[in-house]
Amino acid sequence: MKVSMMITCLSDALYPRVGEAMVRLLARYGVRLAFPQTQTCCGQPAFNSGYWEEARTSAKTILEAFEDSDFVISPSGSCTGMIHHYPKLFENDPVWLPKAQALQRKSYEFTQFLVQVLGVKDVGAVFPHKVTYHPSCHGSRLLGVKDEPMELMRHIKGLEFVPLPFAEDCCGFGGTFAVKMPDISGAMVTEKGDHVVETEAEVLVGLDMACLMNIAGNLRYRGEKVRVMHLAELLEEGVKGA
Amino acid sequence: MSGAATAGSSVKERAKLALNDEFLRKAVKFTTERLRNGKKAASEQHGHWDEWRERGRQIRLHTIAHLDYYLNLFADNARKNGVHIHFADTGAEAVKIALEIARRVQAKTVVKSKSMVTEELHLNHALDSIGVEAIETDLGEYIIQLAGEMPSHIVIPAIHKNRYQIAELLSADAGETLSPDTTVLAGYVRKKLREKFLEADIGMTGCNFAIAETGSMVLFENEGNARMVSTLPKTQITLMGMERIVPSWADLEVMATLLPRSATGQKLTVYLSGITGPRRETDADGPEEMHIIIVDNGRSLQLGDPEFQELLNCIRCGACLNACPVYRHIGGHAYGGTYSGPIGAVLTPALKKNVAEWDDIANASSLCGACYEACPVKIPLHEMLIYLRRRKVEAGRGNALESAGMKGFAAVMGNAKRYKAALKLGRIGQKLVVRDGGIRAKLGPLKGWNTYRVAPSLAKETFRERWDTLEQEIRAGLREMDPDMKERMERLARERAEGKGGHGHG
Amino acid sequence: MAESHRDWLERMDAESRAKQEAFMNGIAAKLRRPRAVQAPEHPFRGAPDFWNGFEWPLEERIRKFMENFQAVGGHVARLPDLQAVRAFIADKAAEMNAKYVIRQNVAELDALELESALPEGARVSVWNRGEGEHWKARAAEADFGVVVADYAAAYTGSVTVLSAKDKGRSVSLLPTVLIAIIPVERLKTRLGEILKDFDRAGRENLPAGIHFISGPSRSSDIENDLTIGVHGPGIVYALLVG
Repeated sequence: MKVSMMITCLSDALYPRVGEAMVRLLARYGVRLAFPQTQTCCGQPAFNSGYWEEARTSAKTILEAFEDSDFVISPSGSCTGMIHHYPKLFENDPVWLPKAQALQRKSYEFTQFLVQVLGVKDVGAVFPHKVTYHPSCHGSRLLGVKDEPMELMRHIKGLEFVPLPFAEDCCGFGGTFAVKMPDISGAMVTEKGDHVVETEAEVLVGLDMACLMNIAGNLRYRGEKVRVMHLAELLEEGVKGA
Repeated sequence: MSGAATAGSSVKERAKLALNDEFLRKAVKFTTERLRNGKKAASEQHGHWDEWRERGRQIRLHTIAHLDYYLNLFADNARKNGVHIHFADTGAEAVKIALEIARRVQAKTVVKSKSMVTEELHLNHALDSIGVEAIETDLGEYIIQLAGEMPSHIVIPAIHKNRYQIAELLSADAGETLSPDTTVLAGYVRKKLREKFLEADIGMTGCNFAIAETGSMVLFENEGNARMVSTLPKTQITLMGMERIVPSWADLEVMATLLPRSATGQKLTVYLSGITGPRRETDADGPEEMHIIIVDNGRSLQLGDPEFQELLNCIRCGACLNACPVYRHIGGHAYGGTYSGPIGAVLTPALKKNVAEWDDIANASSLCGACYEACPVKIPLHEMLIYLRRRKVEAGRGNALESAGMKGFAAVMGNAKRYKAALKLGRIGQKLVVRDGGIRAKLGPLKGWNTYRVAPSLAKETFRERWDTLEQEIRAGLREMDPDMKERMERLARERAEGKGGHGHG
Repeated sequence: MAESHRDWLERMDAESRAKQEAFMNGIAAKLRRPRAVQAPEHPFRGAPDFWNGFEWPLEERIRKFMENFQAVGGHVARLPDLQAVRAFIADKAAEMNAKYVIRQNVAELDALELESALPEGARVSVWNRGEGEHWKARAAEADFGVVVADYAAAYTGSVTVLSAKDKGRSVSLLPTVLIAIIPVERLKTRLGEILKDFDRAGRENLPAGIHFISGPSRSSDIENDLTIGVHGPGIVYALLVG
């Protein structure tokens, strides 16, 4: 069984700590992750902007890197969601289409893999803090990852969960959207930041570093001290502290 | 078509105006929240919602896939009922037919119930040009007609006006001061329009659904004005998008289940009317003459287009507007077309086939998928937005700077070595601007981002640079896998190889 | 010679028939197939199967109808017989000082003999009975409109009235107060039970107007503030009889 990590360019470059937490946590269950070094970006920024030729160039590095893996796991519902667009992206390419379909079937977002495949709901973590959760759009809507993170958090000892008002509303990141429509995106992230502050949580947790980068950036801009973490980090920290 | 709210040539400029209008933002948020909470409660209470959505989608898909059959059947049956049917390829043609009817019956006034198609055709303006007064009778539509504006929401057209603004408009209309009290204002409109209904020469309606097998047209409404308009004047003209068809009354049950719940959270609108032809000979009310104008106006462009045909499934409930976080912040006028929100962002360019001109609307979405999730017939609007963007790029109409950027993206991301080199360069470059692990400078491409946020800095070491160390660490402490887990993983891999299993999209 | 109105209509109809062919051929061409002239298989006709079997017993139907009708601001009463209906209407007329009543020209309402039940001075018009009356004006000036429902649906709290020579659409629309009498045997559970009768009846047998009424006229167009009685009747009584 080859289980591979698709780190995503964002976590690779900005948040390697998230990948590390995933690797350590899964090792506790005997999963030894592989890391194919030829992977780059899933191609989503180009795909979503309409530059599909460019998206295919980038996507091919992913398809090649994971061709011989049995399971591909990523800390992002959005990038895993992008893998689900690959069959459409390569619909007219008889060589790459089967590879795209194969990758789609074996790709999992991190909590999906942990809960659905490994069957783990309680990692044995202790995390005595007030935590709120932002469900990222692509993970929850496109992949349907809704219950998995809640299930995992429910089993963390000491964790006080505070629901985020309007949790399902987009944080306003949207990739190039944040650059092309800065004021609309800014209004959206400001509202999201307001809601996070309203919960009086110490920690904001999520499953996608792009959204968390966006929200954390806003919280920091306004001088809020809320700690922003990926759920993998929180679980690993909680297990270490247990 | 006028008014400050529609000024500005790009969605970005119009959005900026909207974002600076505190009342507008609050009103839009409040209304969309009310409607989406209503929808959520109603769909949960009804239960099996996804099964109903799927059924609705299947009925719409089926009807559109056989539209020539069903539309033909509808036209034949409606004619047998005594309706005069007309076909219009374009908006201009539809307007011409409507004006000809108005001239023939020597109409002085037309009372109208809510119809997005007539908005699309700017029919009121055309009627006015031949000296026919067109009066909108839906309360919200009447208000925005007095203001000389366009609807900013397909279900709540005057969402952007407060009661003081409305009192001012209605006071000017009444020639006396009306207090900004909803009951007073609505009471005035009831009285005023009651006279108009009774004296108008033509009643004009839209059409929510048309039933092919019996040639009936169906209207959903809450105020009763659509009933007035289709009961009192001597002549009725109905403007109907060519895709409004459902095969049977049985199919209407599914639409009646989905539409009101999705639009306002109601179990059913106060009035649901099925009209089958003009008045019967012995009837003492109902129109003597009834016309239905079936309008294409760009709709058929979606037929046979696998990426956009599903747009024709839309039942105009407005749920996507209420769910959309962008609409929530900028309101309807910022979209600059008849239809706003996610459906407008796709429908407007699709109907006009001028993707290039409307592209900036397609960009006004974070692709969060809330519209798809809210849609009662499951139209994948978030994907259609991407297809619109792609078509613009393929047509060679992409933004030059962005195109260059994307070429650079492909060059870097097409190869892991170049990607690693680029990250190293970035790490050197950012030294100039990083303070305390973040970037605050509003420079170059970070200007927009850093107006609302602090940008993160690149990590000292990337994950891939850390990999070897990490690998050694876990190899040392690796545990034995639980046999159940191992079994499950092997089974999943096996099933996948056999062509079953795996997990699909959404 | 100027074209007569009838000639003009005939000319327009002829043009429309010619256009119809081109219009349908255009649709078929865009769908890239020959014209569909046979009725296609429609495997998804109507509501899902699980729904079609759903039915409440009579007492439950009555309870749910009343609950739903009241929830949207309508008034309800359950009455044993037409005598009780007569007394109810007479009481309401006295209470609201109703001067004009318009009713359908149907046997059940004849039997009520409202003329003798109403307070002194109140006038009852019977829809379309006799020549030369302006029936729409009679309905518009009426305080009360009295109709007998053809159907009702409990699940949505809806009353159905079908138009006919003796059952004007205006009677349920123009008066200030609408009183709808529902014989309980006409009360169904689902909308679909009523709609399927229209499929069964077929085009030739449908009335010009089929109207489902689910409460008083309403609007939330001004600042989301619910207003009752915008154009249609603002006060609606549903009287369940039997």
